[in-house]
Amino acid sequence: MNISRREFIQRMVAMGFTAAAAGSLFSWLSCTTKEAPLPTVPPPTPVPAPTPAPPQPPPVAQPSGNTYLAVARGKSPDAMVQAAVKALGGIERFVKKGDDVIVKPNICVAYHTPEYAATTNPEVVGTLVTLCLGAGAKRVRVMDFPFGGTAEQAYARSGIGEAVRAAGGQMEVMASMKFRDTVIPGGVDIKSWPVYGDALDANVLINVPIAKHHSLARLTLGMKNLMGLIQKRGEFHYNLGQRVADLTSLLRPKLTIVDAVRILMNRGPTGGNLDDVKMANTIIASQDIVAADSYAATLFGLTGNDIPFIRSGAQMALGTMDLKSVKVEEINV
Amino acid sequence: MVAQDDSVKPKKRGKSSRKWHWSRLTAQVLALLLFLYLLLGTTQQLSTFLPPDLFFRLDPLAGIAAMLASRSWIAPMALGIITLALAVAFGRVWCSWICPMGSILDWVPSRRARRDKLDIPSYWRQGKYFLLFVILIAALLGSLTLVILDPITLLFRTVTSAVLPGLSIVIGGVETVLYDIAPLKPAVAWFDGLVRGWLVTDQTFYLPNLLILFLFVVVLALNAIRSRFWCRYLCPLAGLLGLVSRLARVSHKVDEGKCVSCQCCVLICHTGAIDPEKKFAASAAECTTCLECVDACHTQAISFQGQQGLAVSQRFDPSRRQFLASLGVAVAAAALLRFVPAVTARVKRFIRPPGSSEEKLLNQCIRCGECVKVCPTGSIQPAASAAGGENLWTPEMIMRRGYCDYSCNACGQVCPTGAIPKLSLEQKRQTVLGKAVIDQRRCIPWAEGRECIVCEEVCPIPSKAIRLSGGGGGKGRRAAVQRPHVVEDLCIGCGICETQCPVAGEAAIRVFPVDEFG
Repeated sequence: MNISRREFIQRMVAMGFTAAAAGSLFSWLSCTTKEAPLPTVPPPTPVPAPTPAPPQPPPVAQPSGNTYLAVARGKSPDAMVQAAVKALGGIERFVKKGDDVIVKPNICVAYHTPEYAATTNPEVVGTLVTLCLGAGAKRVRVMDFPFGGTAEQAYARSGIGEAVRAAGGQMEVMASMKFRDTVIPGGVDIKSWPVYGDALDANVLINVPIAKHHSLARLTLGMKNLMGLIQKRGEFHYNLGQRVADLTSLLRPKLTIVDAVRILMNRGPTGGNLDDVKMANTIIASQDIVAADSYAATLFGLTGNDIPFIRSGAQMALGTMDLKSVKVEEINV
Repeated sequence: MVAQDDSVKPKKRGKSSRKWHWSRLTAQVLALLLFLYLLLGTTQQLSTFLPPDLFFRLDPLAGIAAMLASRSWIAPMALGIITLALAVAFGRVWCSWICPMGSILDWVPSRRARRDKLDIPSYWRQGKYFLLFVILIAALLGSLTLVILDPITLLFRTVTSAVLPGLSIVIGGVETVLYDIAPLKPAVAWFDGLVRGWLVTDQTFYLPNLLILFLFVVVLALNAIRSRFWCRYLCPLAGLLGLVSRLARVSHKVDEGKCVSCQCCVLICHTGAIDPEKKFAASAAECTTCLECVDACHTQAISFQGQQGLAVSQRFDPSRRQFLASLGVAVAAAALLRFVPAVTARVKRFIRPPGSSEEKLLNQCIRCGECVKVCPTGSIQPAASAAGGENLWTPEMIMRRGYCDYSCNACGQVCPTGAIPKLSLEQKRQTVLGKAVIDQRRCIPWAEGRECIVCEEVCPIPSKAIRLSGGGGGKGRRAAVQRPHVVEDLCIGCGICETQCPVAGEAAIRVFPVDEFG
């Protein structure tokens, strides 16, 4: 068959347009969630150009004289955060001069002001930003991907937006282009998932969850809070405990600070009922996310062993669930 | 035509200034920028320094029609008096100095009248009066459907429901491609930070909105027949302002002593208002007081001066016969639109924005698209075919696309006519849109016995309108996994459960409207 160059080009262009049109039509028709049109099932094998996961930090450093888990109690969130971080050896242990830092609070909905304990205490986040910048961080970004309401509204209503800006940090509205399918080398149940690239690329990831009730995970704490950095969250709920642990093995925040100033005892994670809120006036800090979560569970009358994701995390040696074996420093401020 | 016309060539511009041209262009650009600023500022935060619906308030056609149809006084829409007063003072200045739709039509390439070609029959100009009468009479009969032809609603609706979502897809797509190229990352991230939230969102394009885009493209394309074809022959707002302009205090005058019949004014006039056979007089209802002819006249024969009494009648002025014909058409339209596709309306789930009712949306909604623009989740969309003809482009909520955000009451705040009532956030949180129903044949824990609590997790009701039962690993008679139930008395139908349900395709939990027996 003879075709001229012109015909060939015309056909190729036509085919390209048809394919593009069909593709976009399909994506419009399947428009349901905020997710970008990504494959709906995680590929069984690593995707064509998988992003290498960041080098794994060595298994959690054994306490070398330093406090392993710091628990501060008091009335001032600011003073509690300062004291807890200081007990761990100071923020300089985690943040080096020129570091690009991401702080991940829990801002899961835009519905309520901080006293409803649905979102992380803004003062806690503000203090952390100040500490990081004080240690010479190049920039400190704060972000979450709310499932209820827009990020802008959630940042405003939670009070976190204002606190972060006042401290000199930046609020980032998470952009769908920055999620990338990432291999989870240590994953037991999931081997790859779309994760926010910047959270993997940043020098330091600091996790600042609020301790809340959750009907499937039982509680949402540090490990579960990392779900704000992924896409396809609906599907993530199957075998949630193991998957949260798998995700934790990928993201490995350098520092976890559990905000337990106010805790939500029931009907989480959305809240909205002050009767469900309890003043616990506690801040828990550790480089070991499993230990921090395990301690936080005790505030609800539970132990780490009761929470599937903490159990899975301990089984994967992501940290220590047994609080008796680590050095805990309790401070009253 | 005068015989000498063909031999007289337009002289060079010479000293004739273009001051009116530039002043008008400035006004048009400023008005369009204000229009776009208010449009883009129509977000949940509502931070514009003027009301975001200002242009609708200034639109006397939308105001009169909404008040007639709803039989109520809508105070904000009374601002249209300003536009009418401008028309009484200076003629159709709205059309040439302010109207953003008119400005766009001025800038879209178009065909001007040529001397060697016969013009379009002048009675076509009656079209706009016909549409005006049909709209107003149908409004009197309680139907606002035809207000979709109002130019301000048409433009706003097109930009919010078709142009912006399209732009989001294009910009988002380009960004995603460029973001994969490592050296470009910082630049793309910086650009994304600039545009995300106000220009680019994660909202997807709602396919039926192509119809809205199509109507707009048709209006633009009519320029190929004649410049500002829409404004000359069809625009109902132009019809209203044209009628009022016959009272205009200031109008077009030609000094016969100076006029050399060069036809420059005829050629420059974008609405073809100047008639060479009537000594180059301009029809009061067609002239938009753009003043381009004053600039164009080499002999300074044209001026705009005060006048007393009514303008001279034209053969294309609306006639009694035309009025009667439009009466008939309006009655037929109002009746037919009500009954034509009603069959599908029964079949389709149809959920309305908080606090509004079917009746209010029919007779008070001007189909402007303010609520579509402001809805942060993209749930509110202009209803298309399944709505039944008379409901065309009234707002409906499509919960699988987006939910009614528990922290938002913006749609009622921006609605210019009150078709969606202004509710406080507390009131909106109590307002029932519908009720969620679980399809146990498809729900993951019910049908497959696997864990899923997403609907319960996201339910924003403080005491949770979705609750779980069972669980505990199948001990005794309890189910192995927790299963969701809807507490009907608590459910407000916000639809976040339907949006977030991880089941593919139609959600396994869906919001249905509350029926009248509810």
